[in-house]
Amino acid sequence: MTGENGGRVCTGSKWLTPAMCVGFGGVVLLAGWLGGQLVTGLIGLVIMACFGLVIAVSGRSETIRGLRGDARDERFAQIDLRATAATGLVLIVVLVVAFLVEIARGHSGNPYTWLGAIAGLTYALSVAVLRWRG
Amino acid sequence: MAESDGMKNQVRALRLDKGLAQGELAQALGVSRQTINSIEKDRYTPSLPLALALARYFGVTVEEMFG
Repeated sequence: MTGENGGRVCTGSKWLTPAMCVGFGGVVLLAGWLGGQLVTGLIGLVIMACFGLVIAVSGRSETIRGLRGDARDERFAQIDLRATAATGLVLIVVLVVAFLVEIARGHSGNPYTWLGAIAGLTYALSVAVLRWRG
Repeated sequence: MAESDGMKNQVRALRLDKGLAQGELAQALGVSRQTINSIEKDRYTPSLPLALALARYFGVTVEEMFG
């Protein structure tokens, strides 16, 4: 967030995010293997590895560096915060619409009911904690 | 920080007076060149620590720079 690092550029390793992509791809592969869907797991690993490779070898674009996590400063922290909020908003809208569609089709609304409840509780709890922390 | 509310700042003028490129000023302050560019164009309002660092760097007050 703003000022947490004194406005300074955070120069973390440019390989951290690509490595996390490959690591998550490995988890997808493991889950697919455990579930008897090895091909799906392999596809997941390839997609995540390709994404990691692209952001690792891409140039000095600020967007790519932001996605990669290196060279972030206070302005990019704000961009990251807004992008995260926009992502959360889109997900919540999709959840609510999916819940309503499921209800209208005569179904229970699950799993959207629980996901929506988790989102709402997380937001309320976050507001309370952040307000308390000042 | 929120986006600028229309204030005109003197960052660009002060930087040019010193004959600095945006990248040089950014390096001196420990931020990205794009952040300096956004501040100069009033698209981004810096945090208080960064505003103070800018003012100290140029030897002016925050009011003189952003007022």
